[in-house]
Amino acid sequence: MPIILDKVSHVYGEGTAMAVKALDDISIVIPDGQFIGLIGHTGSGKSTLIQHLNGLMKATSGNVYFNGEDIDDEGFDKKMLRSKVGLVFQYPEHQLFETDVFTDVCFGPKNLGLTKKEVELRAYEALKLVGLEDEYFYQSPFDLSGGQKRRVAIAGVLAMKPDVLVLDEPTAGLDPKGRDEILEQISRLKRETGITVILVSHSMDDVAKYVDRIIVMNQGSVMYDDEPREVFQHYRELEQVGLAAPQITYIMRELQERGYDVSDDVMTIEEARKAIKDCFEKLASLHRER
Amino acid sequence: MGIVKIRDLIYEYIRRDEEGNVEGITTAVDDVNLDIEQGSFIAVLGHNGSGKSTLAKHLNAILYPTEGTVWVDGKDTQKEEYVWDIRQTAGMVFQNPDNQIIGQIVEEDVGFGPENMGVPTQEIWERVEESLKAVGMYQFRKHSPNKLSGGQKQRVSIAGVIAMHPKCIILDEPTAMLDPRGRKEVIRAVRALNDVERITVILITHYMEEVIYADRVYVMDKGKITLQGTPKEVFSEVDRLKELRLDVPQVTLLAYELRKNGLPIPKGILTSKELIEALDQCINELN
Repeated sequence: MPIILDKVSHVYGEGTAMAVKALDDISIVIPDGQFIGLIGHTGSGKSTLIQHLNGLMKATSGNVYFNGEDIDDEGFDKKMLRSKVGLVFQYPEHQLFETDVFTDVCFGPKNLGLTKKEVELRAYEALKLVGLEDEYFYQSPFDLSGGQKRRVAIAGVLAMKPDVLVLDEPTAGLDPKGRDEILEQISRLKRETGITVILVSHSMDDVAKYVDRIIVMNQGSVMYDDEPREVFQHYRELEQVGLAAPQITYIMRELQERGYDVSDDVMTIEEARKAIKDCFEKLASLHRER
Repeated sequence: MGIVKIRDLIYEYIRRDEEGNVEGITTAVDDVNLDIEQGSFIAVLGHNGSGKSTLAKHLNAILYPTEGTVWVDGKDTQKEEYVWDIRQTAGMVFQNPDNQIIGQIVEEDVGFGPENMGVPTQEIWERVEESLKAVGMYQFRKHSPNKLSGGQKQRVSIAGVIAMHPKCIILDEPTAMLDPRGRKEVIRAVRALNDVERITVILITHYMEEVIYADRVYVMDKGKITLQGTPKEVFSEVDRLKELRLDVPQVTLLAYELRKNGLPIPKGILTSKELIEALDQCINELN
């Protein structure tokens, strides 16, 4: 179910003296099954953009199409849209409210009007997908750790069986292991179910490691929309808008400037390790020939 | 005596059910001893739920020990008459900048603390000016805080604490909600406070890169301090830190991986400069 944004703009307080243009003529296509990273400094329009994807906000001008249909057309089923495009907000654990984990995850599918059996099946599957062990199912969500709570909240959205999963900074405030676990699970989920994932993130290292495509927002416009390797080539421009390249990219650039025969489009530790190792093996064999 | 002294600190949360009956006891801080010298830069690491924040809340008398004693600037935090002195000596900055700002205008917000302390008006303005300058936010003094970026708001929160002339500032994950530039701005401001104003800094964070400048790093697990030392010493323990759900800076991890691949690189590399020097050394040995 592709989503198309066609010349979408959003103005807060339109017609008043305080009008602010949060989105400015955005045109993007989100095809099925992509893993997209959405980056941009605070206030660049990321959160406004994602709320247009499931009709929580209405474009001031321009159109949003879901599966070929304009979501603002009369008679368009917005409820269906919201179950198909699942939004996980920042600190989603603040939205947990039920007495136990399982009931909380059941809430969404129950509202879709499914049978009790189907609701429970979906809740069970969703909790398994986020990797929560059975022993926690009947505990109060408030007794869980920060990372576990967040996984329950994500399961609540997954139980709606969305085609598109949008996560707004899912790792904020988690410890490094918790960050890795959540991202690994999202990545595995994407591989196993083939859903589209849009990850809003402030961590360039995470984005570099997981996504196929990066959309960079600045002042309400799309600044770059490309593969991570291409986007991070523009590290100077990214710095000017409050972003950066992954730390590893900087290290490799320094090595290159120093005369090491390594490529500077390296983004992850594993790539860097291999590049440096290859460089040294080459040096060693040259040395043997001499 | 240092600015902070902690002896045999234990803190227990009592869990209750809906009727108020005791269900169980969680020991959040378990027998911690700690001495922090005036003017030092201390970092505290630990996974979610390891007891970092609970420990921090003892340093300005938000929580009191279940057992043991905490002295801040020589004052026992459990003595009621010292509470206000202690909160003035040890200021705290939290994770979410939006929860900490109350003023309509930046300079009013920063002046709120000293005003409540009964500082004379002229001096309040002097303090507001110097605090905002210390965090690089002076040019925004007439702005409305809600128009600022996350990093700028957080620096205003820090200015609000410094305006109370604390000897010690405790920052509990101050950069967790910020974008890369915001993180950089806040850490730069914090380091300047420590270097220039000699304010003791206690930084709690999940970002390993932020602690490489600290004088000393403490790692918490299950309420105890399980590892401590200079950043170099602590980040040499890559496997141990991973076990504790933590990480090391990216450059440290790269150096560690290269070392496993047989390159003779020393442990505990903290900056790209150190890595390049080590690699240069490797080349020299080849020749």
